[in-house]
Amino acid sequence: MPRAVRGVLIECEPAIKSILIHIDQELLGNNAIIEDLDETHLMVKEGMVKALQDRLDEKLKETYRVEQPLDDSDHDN
Amino acid sequence: MSSSFGPSSFMLSEYLEKLPGATFRKLYQQPSTAFAIFRRMLPHLAKVYVQALLYSPTPFTTNDLELWTRPEGKASSQRAIGILRSLHIIQVSQSTRAKKGNDIQLTANFKKSLRLALEGGGSHNSFGVPSTLPVDPKIDIQYLDHWAGRIWQDILYYVVNSVPMKADEGGRRGGAGGGPKRAVRELLKMGGLVREGDGGFVQISEHGFNFLLQEANAQVWTLLLLWLEAADRNKAAAKEQGTDITGTPIDNVEMLSFLFMLASLELGRAYDTSALTDTRKNMLPALADFGLIYIDRDRPQQYYPTRLATTLTSSSALRSVSASIDAATKKTPGDAGSLGTTGENAPPADENGGIVVETNYRIYAYTSSPLQIAILKLFCRLHMRFPNMVTARLTRESVREAIKDGITANQIIEYLAAHAHPQMVRAAAIKGTSVLPPTVVDQIRLWQLESQRMLKTPGFQFKDFESMEEYRQLADYAAEVGVLVWKDDRKGTFFVSKVEQLREFMRSRKKGN
Repeated sequence: MPRAVRGVLIECEPAIKSILIHIDQELLGNNAIIEDLDETHLMVKEGMVKALQDRLDEKLKETYRVEQPLDDSDHDN
Repeated sequence: MSSSFGPSSFMLSEYLEKLPGATFRKLYQQPSTAFAIFRRMLPHLAKVYVQALLYSPTPFTTNDLELWTRPEGKASSQRAIGILRSLHIIQVSQSTRAKKGNDIQLTANFKKSLRLALEGGGSHNSFGVPSTLPVDPKIDIQYLDHWAGRIWQDILYYVVNSVPMKADEGGRRGGAGGGPKRAVRELLKMGGLVREGDGGFVQISEHGFNFLLQEANAQVWTLLLLWLEAADRNKAAAKEQGTDITGTPIDNVEMLSFLFMLASLELGRAYDTSALTDTRKNMLPALADFGLIYIDRDRPQQYYPTRLATTLTSSSALRSVSASIDAATKKTPGDAGSLGTTGENAPPADENGGIVVETNYRIYAYTSSPLQIAILKLFCRLHMRFPNMVTARLTRESVREAIKDGITANQIIEYLAAHAHPQMVRAAAIKGTSVLPPTVVDQIRLWQLESQRMLKTPGFQFKDFESMEEYRQLADYAAEVGVLVWKDDRKGTFFVSKVEQLREFMRSRKKGN
């Protein structure tokens, strides 16, 4: 009989995937990821998705430059 | 998104799928229920199958059905059959005549009830008993629309109003009249549409955002399903404490079939409460709180279904409640002051279309409805407010904020398009372009992509198959019924979003062997 494992399938770019794996190892004690499926897919425990997402957002904030939107002439603030 | 199978029926279908077969058998004893399910819950192909099977004296075989669809339509045919099975409308059994393939026939209760519903026979009173008592002439369709619209707006506004507002805006909303009933508020909280924040303030949750952007019909169902679940839970709790409650086992069947019955009633007509069972009578006050039915204080033996109730099972749903009651409210401007939530002298503006979106992300909304303004505030930065208009702007921050709260880019775009100013709609039609400026639409999508680096699909991973053959069979079936999300042929594992149909497939295959 095959087994059915409950969880959340995460699809992302390979770069993001490696960050996720890193987060899982360093910050979440290998507790989130159930299985590394392929280059762009991970199997994650249902309850850990949010923690993973939050940590990822934090990580990306460090690397992300917020662009100021172009303001048009009649300034509306 | 296919129009016949919107998010609303999806949610309802999820609820229904969880019900056991026995519940369905009871539900289908009511012709109104069978009819409502047929009208509301089935995709076109499934309807065709049901119609064909309805008066067929002998069961069809699966091979027969396969001939009806072209090979490329096999997937949708399978899906239709899957839905019919999960709703216990058809039963599939080993064929007695054909060697290969199964017999398909309608379940007995469904068949009988749907026939009754179509032919109008029987004395089941399933479609309500009109009241023979004299009717108050002031209660006409307009009056009911107005009343139901007000109740529903109260509920929506309660959800939006719980959006944390800045202090300067906070003062204005203080004395808004009543708001929804306490029971409704509890329900919203329990359903997670709003949540209790710091200091007793209620705050809108991401479910709440989704709720707001749904069409009215879906909103009503969301609330009703919450209510059904709450009733279920109360019952379980009561059972645990050993308190005796009479006639409970059929409660939620009764409740659900009553809702389906309401949907089949005629708007503007009074119905007799004495023809209802006790369970149903007990439901009336709550339904009145939701604005689904109206009960005149002086004539408690009569109830009037409102438009919210009678459209429960129509698939061409109202885009918004406000749209449907708009006509009614406009004709009675004198009443506007009594609209608790709209406060002051709010003239009910054309809420269904007053938003102008410019290519520079500016938004001008010709509205004075606090509800619409509050919704805009969910994803725009508001700038100025005039008596009949607000100006706002879509910014990266505002959209990202919204996305973080669980609103999707598509929802924002759909909302803006659905509520676009008639002028924009006309201009777009003449030029043959889309209603919203493409740059803005694209940018909203890009903003979403930026913050959504991972695509999440809850479900089940299947692995450890005994043989490659077993894996392939199951994976192919999963793809056919449209639940397969990801697979790896080399490793022999795949991921599905839903598991019920697969489970059944495995079971039936096991029997076959």
